[in-house]
Amino acid sequence: MSKPQVLICANPTKGVVWSKEEQKSKLGAVAEVFEFDSKTREAFFEDCKGKYSKIVAIYRHNDSVASIGLFDKELINALPKSLKYICHNGAGYDQIDVDACTARDIQVSHTPMAVDHGTATVGAYLTISALRQFHRAEVNVRNGKWKGGLIPARDPQGKVLGIIGMGGIGSTMARMLIPFDMTVIYYNRREITPACDFPCEYVSSQEELLRRSDVVSLNLPLNDKTKGSFGREQFSQMKDGSVLVNTARGAVVDEEAFLEALDSGKLFSAGIDVFPDEPNVNPRLVNNDKITLLPHMGTETQDSQKKMEIRVFDNMISAVTGKGLINQVQEQKK
Amino acid sequence: MAPKILIMGKLVWAQKECEDLLSPVAEIVHMQSDSREQLFQQFAPGGEYSDVVGIYHEHLSAKLVGHPDAAMMEALPESCKWFAHKGAGYDSVNVEAAKKRGIIVSNTPGAVNEATATTAVYLLISCMRHFSMAEAHLRAGGFTPPGVEQSSFDLSGKTIGILGLGSIGITFVNYIRPFGMRMIYHNRKPNAQAPEDLTYVSDMYEMLGQVDVLFVSCPLNEKTRGLVGKKEIRSMKKGSMLVNTARGPIIDEEAMIEALQDGHLSSVGLDVFVKEPQVDQRLIDMPHVTLLPHVGTENQDARRKMEVLALTNLRDFVTKGMGPTPVPECI
Repeated sequence: MSKPQVLICANPTKGVVWSKEEQKSKLGAVAEVFEFDSKTREAFFEDCKGKYSKIVAIYRHNDSVASIGLFDKELINALPKSLKYICHNGAGYDQIDVDACTARDIQVSHTPMAVDHGTATVGAYLTISALRQFHRAEVNVRNGKWKGGLIPARDPQGKVLGIIGMGGIGSTMARMLIPFDMTVIYYNRREITPACDFPCEYVSSQEELLRRSDVVSLNLPLNDKTKGSFGREQFSQMKDGSVLVNTARGAVVDEEAFLEALDSGKLFSAGIDVFPDEPNVNPRLVNNDKITLLPHMGTETQDSQKKMEIRVFDNMISAVTGKGLINQVQEQKK
Repeated sequence: MAPKILIMGKLVWAQKECEDLLSPVAEIVHMQSDSREQLFQQFAPGGEYSDVVGIYHEHLSAKLVGHPDAAMMEALPESCKWFAHKGAGYDSVNVEAAKKRGIIVSNTPGAVNEATATTAVYLLISCMRHFSMAEAHLRAGGFTPPGVEQSSFDLSGKTIGILGLGSIGITFVNYIRPFGMRMIYHNRKPNAQAPEDLTYVSDMYEMLGQVDVLFVSCPLNEKTRGLVGKKEIRSMKKGSMLVNTARGPIIDEEAMIEALQDGHLSSVGLDVFVKEPQVDQRLIDMPHVTLLPHVGTENQDARRKMEVLALTNLRDFVTKGMGPTPVPECI
């Protein structure tokens, strides 16, 4: 019996980057592997009726957007009838219309945990940098100004870190910042049980978290419920002179409200790794030197990238060999 | 008559503490000297500072009167027996000359631990992840810097070596523990306070050969000046990194720059330089390094703690004859 066919929809020119060997030896052992070469969305739709018409599983990376766009309802519905699994490279999967997949009986997996260390490291870095005003300090050195004009900065020591969305990334970030003598509180829809294995306090209302936190870290996924959910009301509930750290998704935050909070001094600073319309960044953020900005660096290391690629392969291999997905997305698990 | 204390430099955060600590036991005078010559005259018999018993010294005073070198120590009045330096590093103070005059020098260790170690963690992450370059690239209109994945690493599983494990190094180790690095250190002798998950390496070159990142954390003195030179840097693995929050001259800057230029060192994170506030233009022109203007303790809490500790040394000297943190050379 011939092997099931799978399609790699990764970077259009590079394909899978760090695990080509495993793609051949591990995935290739259980499946016939195709690398997509459709140059446009329309061409991809045609290919789904032609050469890709028998594929059972897709490896999906956000870089494929450059050729075929988002995995929205239109694209999901154009996928071949044989398609049963979309295995996404990334913890955040907001580029995939999961409801449309569910309606077509297509199961979706992502790569939690593989992203935790890399992303949490970014969160810890942004927290320190925002409080200590290190971006301005770095700019000063390169401009020959040394300490000129630098304002007195703050320390993480003794501050309250409020995590909205305590999951794998939030827990890892909490563990990284607790040694700096930060107190951790978190808000989730429900308290985590069994309790976290590090000192932290559950608060049952997001407002209470905002009122008590010196640093607020967004660690929740982007979906219809959370889009734009952090806005004027939330900023008004934050402490005066607090700090916002966002390693989740830019679109969770109402950007206009965020800019106002920065301008008014409500926020002392911010550390931001994600933006609503990457790779575009609002010039008003770029021109603000009291904040720290990174270009979505959460998992931009060869170590994290490889872990994520392998995790996608593991999900695909498990699925096509009849054992089901390992990391199916939350919405489909009900 | 109350003993007289001279404040050389500015008290930025602890004016109130100065009042609380010293005013009950001493007369406080603030240095009003415009030049070194004038200050020396004020110290001389008959001058207004000729009867001070202790001095609070803060390095910005050097702009007006120069550093506390041998000449200044010799110019101090006979009555002066305590020189309280604000700062953990006291390489600008000529301790030998002070000792010859029977003067005890104190510094402010401990007060800087957390802030300096926090700065070191920032530099470490920034180097391994190339965040300085990434932010600069974003602000110049780009987004993900090309090739950044190839050159960036997670901290987890990498080896960090601490050269000079003291209280700052121990604080640093406690901070980086959750990041999952293999941690080793070299001192001339093992540090009894070292945490258990930190491995002592008795041969410096053996440690250098094992590290992905070297964290320089020793004081600057005659034994450590140029300690990390060409030979030492070339003993490190190709592609390794350096973080320095101690003092610039511990590293041979020329050898370091050469190693960055030929890629032997893939990045460095520096808060200190050989001739601050000047920074070598070749470093400034490198996007893949992280540079800070000696802001290790440039925050409200650390600065206040340092000032208070220096004042406490003076208070205790006046009331008990001995302060809490004389420098090791004066014990």
